[in-house]
Amino acid sequence: MTSETTRRRFKELVLPHLDDAYSLARWLAGATDAEDIVQDACLRALKALDSSAPVERPRAWMLAIVRNTAYTWLAKNRPSAIVLAGDAEEAQAHVSALETGTSPSPEAALIEAADHARVAAAIEELSLPFKEVLVMREVNGLSYREISEATGIPIGTVMSRLARGRTQLIAKLGASP
Amino acid sequence: MTSLNHEHRALLLHAALDGELDAAGALEMERMLAADQELAAEYARLKALRNAIGAHAVRHEAPAALRARALAMIEAPETSPREIRMRKWDRPSWRSFAAAIAATIVATLGLDRLIVAAGAPDAATQAIVSAHMRAQISGQPVDVASSDRHTVKPWLAGKLPMATGVVDLAGSGFPLLGGRIDIVAGAGAPTLVYKRREHLISVTEPRANIGDYHATPQRRTLEGYSVVLWSDADRAYEAVSDLAPAELDSFVAAFRQAMARERGDAAAPESAK
Repeated sequence: MTSETTRRRFKELVLPHLDDAYSLARWLAGATDAEDIVQDACLRALKALDSSAPVERPRAWMLAIVRNTAYTWLAKNRPSAIVLAGDAEEAQAHVSALETGTSPSPEAALIEAADHARVAAAIEELSLPFKEVLVMREVNGLSYREISEATGIPIGTVMSRLARGRTQLIAKLGASP
Repeated sequence: MTSLNHEHRALLLHAALDGELDAAGALEMERMLAADQELAAEYARLKALRNAIGAHAVRHEAPAALRARALAMIEAPETSPREIRMRKWDRPSWRSFAAAIAATIVATLGLDRLIVAAGAPDAATQAIVSAHMRAQISGQPVDVASSDRHTVKPWLAGKLPMATGVVDLAGSGFPLLGGRIDIVAGAGAPTLVYKRREHLISVTEPRANIGDYHATPQRRTLEGYSVVLWSDADRAYEAVSDLAPAELDSFVAAFRQAMARERGDAAAPESAK
């Protein structure tokens, strides 16, 4: 029932990005559920590939499916983890927190010395809108344009959320352990 | 300096870090960094953060089992088993995989069962696994959706010339989703579908040479799926799932117990040997 073309497209467009898909799912939803989420996302991708619509940026396209699958999953199983409404404004309002000099800024060396557990915990603690753009940028290595495509949010919002997320991380990692 | 300017500068700084500035923007940023110590300090912090994340925030590799299941999704059900097997061996990823699967089979079943498994009914199992894959991909795993065995049983009885036992295993953590009819070796075969978390389990009762099946369940792996074959009371059964093999084993045990109760024979499945 799966046509040869669909199979070929699945191999070319989905399978090469399985590591990225799994990484994103792990960061968004945790190690226990990442496998189920990615498997479900693969099925959705396969279904989508049955139509002949072209896929221009496969990695962003696949990660968009993983992200949506993860959120569907979170909404069903852990509704408290989903905090999405009004975040764009919030992110915008907080960019001014980037102004330096208002509070003592941590030393770059202190941030770089943070160990594995602290870095992981600091990222875990970010709320989802900030975490997803940060992980897509730093772990998956997506460009702003690709992140915008994968999340469906405008580039300007991607940029301000990324800035805000990083500011939170710097504050956390820069505080003495 | 206005706050709009501040905001703009902050975003430019991040864009510079992410390599998103064009040549003109990068030049402007270089000038700003040289002229503004605070901005340069913030840039140093961002670079330190990037290094810390790069060192510790891991890009995980997808587990082999997940990769196998993704591959299994596109294995052609209409292709003959022989062709699939040959194509699989062509692919490097399958070569390493096959070794792992073989090792797992030997480790978990022991050699004696491996020899038994080699003679088991290949064509029927291939058809049953294909039907399970199709059911999973289509999102419609059942023709009759009901957790009530008293609905599923008469539905199957109305379509097939044989009586099919239907048991509900919700008590053991495998709720009944419903039933469907698969075509195995050119004949309709009743299939019951159960669920465990998000995983489906299909149990098919093929009309096959009962001599090919054994009272002691045999486990095999096909297309990344676990398959367990066994016989009870002169009926052959094959259970397929992407569940962990140990969980599928416990499903089979629960299924056989419930089925023995339904048949009314108090004897445990083991005594059928």
